[in-house]
Amino acid sequence: MFLEDVKIIENIQIADNYYLMRVEGDKIPEHSKPGQFFMLQCQDRSRVLRRPISLHNVDGNILEFYYESLGKGTEEFTKLPIGETINIQGPLGNGYDTDLEGKNIVVIGGGMGMAPIKYLIKNLKDNNKVTFIGGGRNAGAVKIIEKFNFENIKIEVATDDGSVGIKGNTVDLLMKILKDQNIDIIYTCGPHPMMEAVAKVAQENNIRCQISLEERMACGIKACVGCSILTKKGMKKVCYDGPVFESTDIVDLDVIDPNGGCK
Amino acid sequence: MSNRLNINFLGKKLNNPIMTASGCFGYGLEYKDYFNPNELGAAVLKGITMEPRNGNSGTRIAETPSGMLNSVGLENPGIEEFKKIIPSIKKELHIPLVANINGKILEEYIEIAREVEQIEEIEIVELNISCPNVKDGGMAFGANPEMARLVTREVRKVLTKPMIVKLSPNVTNIVEIAKIVEEEGADGVALINTLLGMAVDIRKRKPVLGNIMGGLSGPAVKPVALRMIYQVSQAVSIPILGMGGISSTEDAIEFIMVGASAISLGTGMFANPTLPIEIKKGLEKYCKENNIDNISEIVGAAHPDGGAAYRNRLGGNYEIKS
Repeated sequence: MFLEDVKIIENIQIADNYYLMRVEGDKIPEHSKPGQFFMLQCQDRSRVLRRPISLHNVDGNILEFYYESLGKGTEEFTKLPIGETINIQGPLGNGYDTDLEGKNIVVIGGGMGMAPIKYLIKNLKDNNKVTFIGGGRNAGAVKIIEKFNFENIKIEVATDDGSVGIKGNTVDLLMKILKDQNIDIIYTCGPHPMMEAVAKVAQENNIRCQISLEERMACGIKACVGCSILTKKGMKKVCYDGPVFESTDIVDLDVIDPNGGCK
Repeated sequence: MSNRLNINFLGKKLNNPIMTASGCFGYGLEYKDYFNPNELGAAVLKGITMEPRNGNSGTRIAETPSGMLNSVGLENPGIEEFKKIIPSIKKELHIPLVANINGKILEEYIEIAREVEQIEEIEIVELNISCPNVKDGGMAFGANPEMARLVTREVRKVLTKPMIVKLSPNVTNIVEIAKIVEEEGADGVALINTLLGMAVDIRKRKPVLGNIMGGLSGPAVKPVALRMIYQVSQAVSIPILGMGGISSTEDAIEFIMVGASAISLGTGMFANPTLPIEIKKGLEKYCKENNIDNISEIVGAAHPDGGAAYRNRLGGNYEIKS
């Protein structure tokens, strides 16, 4: 883990409120895993908390963050020009298990849940057969997929309005795949209802499934205990024990509040 | 390093007056990737209760202007687990460890005080009568003068270790409560705990926090903390552990000048994980530049008499009361 001022080398709008920031630093760790995140500091220090942003990709000493402008903090990030520095802390948390070979894998990203997907696929594709399902409300929500540029990866897309891919959702596409293929593992990140549905399908079909949860956090390193959730293995910190969890470790997917946390 | 920052706090020699705030530093090792925790004066560990607690459900963190709300609700593994992990923490942390203890009812406070009294690695105890995020106990004790008196008195009976009582700012007269706990044998007071507050999600038309209300911390509460420490330090003869929005060396000096003998860092570390080291260097530099031989010389410097009376009452050497 490190704490460093890194230089912004690109910060572009992908669509709607979706942005992609690329930063360059000296200490960029090669050991960071897909699913891990960084805490980005706001320049306006009246915003006392860092923003947890998922690691989108690592390319040499360059980190990529795909993020959504949701509030004043992330809105501030969208205005940072090239050449500006931003203080980042990370990599944090427990990422996806990518130590696999010869597996038939489905990766599902929904909307902002596409954030950790690029790096995840990059780490899986050479040793496994990977199918990617991307979904979102509209074309803007899935536009980032155009930047994935992967060869030999089957990509299927669903949008709520049918503007890109099929009109429907990622679970429809997953069900279709499961009819024809034996899938070993499913990885997913996206809105709560989507992950809940995916996890249920996985559990019904006895397929291992890793999901990435989101929660408001203050410290990012389990010191503040702000992001705890109730799991089958007791209280776990999304920042430290997660954000990636085995879906079966979550006590009851219904208790995951759509806004994070347990009801 | 000079001895300018060495202080005698509750009879313990601390390398410097910089401590952590309970609930913001885990169990002492969480920040070790960012700085050596042994650089601190002492570490105040996450609050513990007799039984394990899951804490509050729903969203627990909300950012507010220059501050944050939390409603963690004292999630902790309970005293038995605490006893198991303390020896391994002590292997890495060679500074005094402060246990923050909590109870729902008086008997539980007494029971947990008895437990921590037996834990060799714990040198100081912080009696938390001010958590705003638990329905029973917590602030109920700290907000009521007679309850504060009772719990301090009864815990004192079973605790020979130095005891700091952490006070709630959610009261009309903080001085009254501070004097009461001093009368009942507190060796020091910690102030302030968080201010009770709330935030609303206007899109969902409901409170942001699952527990509706939470404790406000961060720079937003700093003026309140300074005011209360200023008032209390002019009324008591025991040292104050000051906290509430410290995020720079200048803030730390302000706290010391209003009467804090030591300071705790909480929310400030979330934004800046190396804050304790920055403040340590900053205080050292400040003392050097201002010809201050020891930081304790400026405790209460902002008092009308420059703090002389308070420092005199403290005796410069904060002996443990028997």
